[in-house]
Amino acid sequence: MSEYILEVKNLKKYFPADRGLFGRVRHFVHAVDDVSFEIKYGESLGLVGESGCGKTTTGKVIVKLEEPTDGTLLLEGEDVSTYVGARKKEYHRKVQMIFQDPYESLNPRMTIFDIIAEPLNIHGIGNLKEREERVSELLQEVGLTPPSSFLWRYPHELSGGQRQRVAIARALVLNPSFVVADEPTSMLDVSIRTGIMELMMELREAHNMSYLYITHDLAVARYMCERIAVMYLGKIVEISETEELLHNPLHPYTRALLAAVPVPDPEFSRGEPEIIGSVTKPIDPPPRCRFYDRCPIRTKDCEISDHPPLVEVLPGHFVACYEVEKQKRG
Amino acid sequence: MPLLSVNDLVMYYKTKMGYVRAVDGINFTLDRGESLGIVGESGCGKTSISMTLLRLLPENGEFQRGHVYFDDGSGPVDLISLPEHEMRKYRWKGISMVFQAAMNSLNPVYTVGDQIVEAILNHYPDMSLDAARAKVAELFELVGLDPKRMDQYPHQYSGGMKQRAVIALALSCDPKVIIADEPTTALDVIVQDKILKEMKRIQKKLNMGMIYISHDIAVIAEVSDKIAVMYAGKFVELADSVTIFKRPRHPYTYGLMSSFPSITGEKKKLFTIPGEPPNLLNPPPGCRFAPRCPNATKQCTEEEPPFIEVEPGHFMACWNPVKREGEES
Repeated sequence: MSEYILEVKNLKKYFPADRGLFGRVRHFVHAVDDVSFEIKYGESLGLVGESGCGKTTTGKVIVKLEEPTDGTLLLEGEDVSTYVGARKKEYHRKVQMIFQDPYESLNPRMTIFDIIAEPLNIHGIGNLKEREERVSELLQEVGLTPPSSFLWRYPHELSGGQRQRVAIARALVLNPSFVVADEPTSMLDVSIRTGIMELMMELREAHNMSYLYITHDLAVARYMCERIAVMYLGKIVEISETEELLHNPLHPYTRALLAAVPVPDPEFSRGEPEIIGSVTKPIDPPPRCRFYDRCPIRTKDCEISDHPPLVEVLPGHFVACYEVEKQKRG
Repeated sequence: MPLLSVNDLVMYYKTKMGYVRAVDGINFTLDRGESLGIVGESGCGKTSISMTLLRLLPENGEFQRGHVYFDDGSGPVDLISLPEHEMRKYRWKGISMVFQAAMNSLNPVYTVGDQIVEAILNHYPDMSLDAARAKVAELFELVGLDPKRMDQYPHQYSGGMKQRAVIALALSCDPKVIIADEPTTALDVIVQDKILKEMKRIQKKLNMGMIYISHDIAVIAEVSDKIAVMYAGKFVELADSVTIFKRPRHPYTYGLMSSFPSITGEKKKLFTIPGEPPNLLNPPPGCRFAPRCPNATKQCTEEEPPFIEVEPGHFMACWNPVKREGEES
């Protein structure tokens, strides 16, 4: 058996940016461009980056809401693309997703019971009575108690935090082993958010799950993840164990990102984020480093070389930057 | 006399189900060069306060009582009692505002420069077009935009640049008070960082009063001299920012501070405030936070705590505040 629950190898997802005559695609947005990472059993990996960096697309490709342009996905060491028929369905049972906006991800015309039981229905699991039991059990687990008072209500009767709990229950109803959580707390208020974060950590323990936790908020990632991968314009630029990344950021983009995060302490004075210009869209990007245009430490070599590979410069700490690599190699 | 003093401001929204008590007895003062942060969760009435100050209420917004004294040196004027045509002189020129999701508040079919020129000429009808354009160029410099971009349209701007343009617009009539309502919420952290620093710099440079509204206590910590914590239509605590962060007394402030994750310092266990904020159609009797409060007693659920000064400059509404170390009850 593989050491990893999920391995992503050289994943690419290009979207057509415009079409020429006869529908021929001339330009592509390189939303996810040659991304590789692994997630261990029981681990939670944070995927952090600014809007438009490709983090949500990565998540969607993993749950197969998007077909990858290229690359391999291995679940428990097996290549997912070879799955057909029942195995394919099993993949969809094992890998689930929680979406960002609980106001949009729940069908307003379905009751809470129907929403949570729908996956059971699709996979033909249990009869009505068993499904009702299973849904009640889950409502209890996600803290919507007593379940009987929620089963037959509609999403509009619930608050944002309660809706997100319903969305979590729906993701868990098939006993998945891997969950992609796409900013599950970013739409929620501070006092509600901690509760959802704690619930997700408890459920991970209780059900032996692994997470890919997508977020723009490094502070949230710190609490939810053992490791963090930082993404910039379709590329992972740095990946490391969480505290190591926060205390010893190496990539110039990670450094800028960390310096820009406001700190809830009026006496704390932050440094100046060293970064040039503003973010662009990765439409037909040149082969050189994606961060080149904004990099404070770029050199001539960076301009003429390809995008740098992720290199392990410290144990378990990978960085994609020629300059950092040079410094570390001394 | 402070630049702005707000006394017992009350504004309700009238709905089919009854009154929504969005702003329910707000008191504060703001001096020149001072910045007040108002922090609270969505629906607590933060934005409603600013709309009431500017008297830009929607049709169902009903002003109930209270006073907003504005004093730019020529004696206090109660903005609430002014007739609408008088109020117009104070709106934008006296108090201006950067709205939430401001990048969508620019008109797409006019150039950015023209929109600001229009605002200036509206309030300074005697100014020549050239003088107004020169002022816009100055404002562009001030907010960190290239004046050459004056004749471009909003779609040619990035999100951060649009936000800067909206700030320039808010500053165009030399306001004494600027209200910023979540101006950076839709922006990425690196852009947010630049805008925050810019706002703080401009506010100090022009010696304006600033009211900064946000749900994000980390952002509030960066820009505010003093902070008001709002819960369910009321201020629960108001003090200088260090006191609010280091020695909060109200259990809600305390809960808010300890439920906020940070990338610095030691990784502490996050605190969860149980329950959810009340419906303002029918808020609980007594203290509105009592149903979620760990310190709540019978008195809290029956009697409403008054908003009083517990030490100089530190106001709070609580019967059973958080104990400070080494303090007896």
